[in-house]
Amino acid sequence: MRTLVFIPAWNEEASIAEVIADVREAIPGADLLVVDDGSADATAERAREAGAIVASLPFNQGLGAALQTGYLYALRNGYDACAHLDADGQHPAEEVARLLAEVTADRADLVIGSRYHAGAVSGTGDYRPTFSRKIGISVFRFFLTLATRQRFTDTTSGMRAANRRVMSLFSQHYSPDFAEIESLQLAVRQGLRVEELPVRMLERAGGTSFLTPVRSAFFIFKGLVVLLVGQFRPRQAEAER
Amino acid sequence: MSALPLAAGEAQVHLTSQTRIVAAVLAIFFMLLILDLIRRDRLQERYSVIWFVAGLGMLAGAAFPGLLELVAEAMGVRNTNVALFSIVLLLLLGLALNFSVIMSRQAAQITRLAQERAIEKALAEKQAGEARNGGSAGEQTLEPKKESL
Repeated sequence: MRTLVFIPAWNEEASIAEVIADVREAIPGADLLVVDDGSADATAERAREAGAIVASLPFNQGLGAALQTGYLYALRNGYDACAHLDADGQHPAEEVARLLAEVTADRADLVIGSRYHAGAVSGTGDYRPTFSRKIGISVFRFFLTLATRQRFTDTTSGMRAANRRVMSLFSQHYSPDFAEIESLQLAVRQGLRVEELPVRMLERAGGTSFLTPVRSAFFIFKGLVVLLVGQFRPRQAEAER
Repeated sequence: MSALPLAAGEAQVHLTSQTRIVAAVLAIFFMLLILDLIRRDRLQERYSVIWFVAGLGMLAGAAFPGLLELVAEAMGVRNTNVALFSIVLLLLLGLALNFSVIMSRQAAQITRLAQERAIEKALAEKQAGEARNGGSAGEQTLEPKKESL
């Protein structure tokens, strides 16, 4: 069983080395890839020094394209399972290992680490969302649940584990703008087994979220349009792989 | 826009010969510009067809004003100017949409190109690293080497 852990990173020179070290310790058997999304700082150098393979996009393409690069790399190089986590240190690698265990045990095709899942709150849930974020979360939660007829609590989580069926799907179709939400909808529509696992996440170490109220509203509106359009995409018979 | 001083009840607006000449000259100038852009490789032929058709349409409208009146009548519009503006507006709307589609396709192509290059470079880097660490014996190892820091 070959496993790849990849980390999309855009200007994360301060935290990337720490995240890599964390992954190496918690998931020692996995290969490590950092997808450098056109960083202007020394993210790629820091990652190389920490011993990761670095795939550098020549210019910033957005989170969706960076994640897709990871899935494509995993698919091309014959990995059986892959996982990704954020580069800012919010995602403890030991939690990623738990997601990967679900995939390698073949209990699901795609596993999402959820901050808000009932199990996450009890004792381990350190994460406290702000008010405007709470609204966005519940709106997306409601509509994604409506669209997929499956309950999701954390629609924008960037901590996921997947098998080869997901790799082949996501390396073909992955929305550059609304990567997290649309990919969930797509995976469910293609008949993949998507599962949420409660995980512990940490507060952002530094920097603030980009969401102001106006931006939040626009973000939510855009997300709803994406979801609506996604409902009209054809369901393809999954190509056997 | 179309609030020209026309008598109430008058069905048609007739283009004066002056406006017809101006329109025809503009149309010809426009088509020459397109040709020149193609000639200097500033515009690809496949994107020029639509503009050429637009130029021809302008020329036809200038040469045969009756054509425009026919179209206006077919649209059920009494004022020819309104018909003209509507047609031009729809044409521009269609063109803008066409460009959005082309832009989206090219954005997707650029992204894939960037991804392919990033992966290729990463693999080359990885192989170089393995060759350094493993030497000639490293050729046979199936598992990628886990190098220590």
